[in-house]
Amino acid sequence: MAASVGERLAQTFVELADTLVVGFDLMEFLHTLTERSVELLGVDAAGLLLADGRGALRMVAASTEQARVAELFQIQNDEGPCVDCYRSGQVVSISDIGAADIAKRWPRFAPAASQMGFAGVHAIPMQLRDQVIGTLNLFRTAPDGLDSAAARAARALVDVATIGILQERAVRQQELVAEQLQAALHSRVMIEQAKGILAERHHVTPDQAFLMLRRYARNNNRPLTLLAADVIEGTADIVKSSSQVRTRQPPQGKAERPARP
Amino acid sequence: MSDRAARVWAWITAAHDGDTPVPVAALCHAAALRLGVDGASVTAMSGPVMREPVCASDELSARLEELQFTTGEGPGADDFRVGSPMLIAEMGSVVARWPGFVSAAMAAGAGAMFSFPLQAGAIKAGILTLYRALPGPMAAEELANGLVFADIALRLLLDASSGVIGFPGYRPLDGMSESRAEVHQATGMISVQLGVSLEEAFVRLRAHAFASNAALGDVAAEVVDRGLRFAPGAQPGQEP
Repeated sequence: MAASVGERLAQTFVELADTLVVGFDLMEFLHTLTERSVELLGVDAAGLLLADGRGALRMVAASTEQARVAELFQIQNDEGPCVDCYRSGQVVSISDIGAADIAKRWPRFAPAASQMGFAGVHAIPMQLRDQVIGTLNLFRTAPDGLDSAAARAARALVDVATIGILQERAVRQQELVAEQLQAALHSRVMIEQAKGILAERHHVTPDQAFLMLRRYARNNNRPLTLLAADVIEGTADIVKSSSQVRTRQPPQGKAERPARP
Repeated sequence: MSDRAARVWAWITAAHDGDTPVPVAALCHAAALRLGVDGASVTAMSGPVMREPVCASDELSARLEELQFTTGEGPGADDFRVGSPMLIAEMGSVVARWPGFVSAAMAAGAGAMFSFPLQAGAIKAGILTLYRALPGPMAAEELANGLVFADIALRLLLDASSGVIGFPGYRPLDGMSESRAEVHQATGMISVQLGVSLEEAFVRLRAHAFASNAALGDVAAEVVDRGLRFAPGAQPGQEP
């Protein structure tokens, strides 16, 4: 018999807490978070946005291509529930995107989201004291809201994620937050660059390249960010349609970049 | 460009008189003037040990850079490795971390130092370093502007190699485009197509966008969709 939602939620907290301790990899952690959100909270897709320190939001993880598009659409058009959630620091919960008042509130986002097949959005701020560092956004294809138990569970997941991003359990200063977020955004860019390298080398799409990268990272217990660095440095090449990889680097430890010629 | 990027770029161009392409020196002077600090410097780096000063707004900035080089310590070397800014509001609080550098830097008159890696993912080109005589953190607004100064400095350094900074209407930062994942994916793809580093692939992608007067994100999307391929050989806007 399947475990109850409560048990699976508890398992997820243990899983996330584990990743916080050894070989912490923020990008893997955030992707896991969006996937578990979908499994546990009865939603159809999830996406995660982080503030880039310059006043803009950046997409860092999404459970599906549709969620990715919905997040990017909001960033590019500077409107939508996730943008409002970030600006206000308040949960924004929309049960029916097709409603007339929603179309008025977000004239570009509402029709686009409906066209993508989304009917409901629940956006939760990732908050450290009075600073909002990003948002976790849950999308539903059916027009009904998140029930209160799921909303509470989502809130708890977001709190865990916030701690994960900031790593340091006692962040004292705004400076430290800026430093951590900046490193997270560079990891994201590095993964995109590695996806491009693999996509070209193996004639696959960037999305397929990401699946290859991620599968290999999991099977070999290599943090995603370090594996992306290996691919970029040319010290690892992931072979298509298997988890084989050629590597010349020791599997653990901090990635030191050799000086370029 | 985003409002912030446009504003910062206007500050930098205002710090430069003449018709020549905007030099990194103008960026250092604008940073010193606009970020609530007393000086700024840019150093090109191609690894933790390869450092080359590009410009400094004043003597103490140049001296701090030299001290970091000679002692092998300081925020510059560390944040180049780590990839996130190093914001030191109180130099006195990091004496134990870099004993050689900090005592000399404080004696020379630096009370606070803030350094920003010039970086886009695995592309790293150097570092922007700011100092202030008085200790204290950067204000939130200055910090946000400081990150944009670093974004622009990275692109000025890279674009100098392709000559596109001399193009009429050159803008280093296309805010909307650069938030698109395709830009970084295309950079990876082009590096394989041409057999070059990510740095060079990024320069070639940018040069192509400038030369064809297209948005960077649109050119990148075309590369990712396999509508555009880079072949070894001359590219528009690319020096041989």
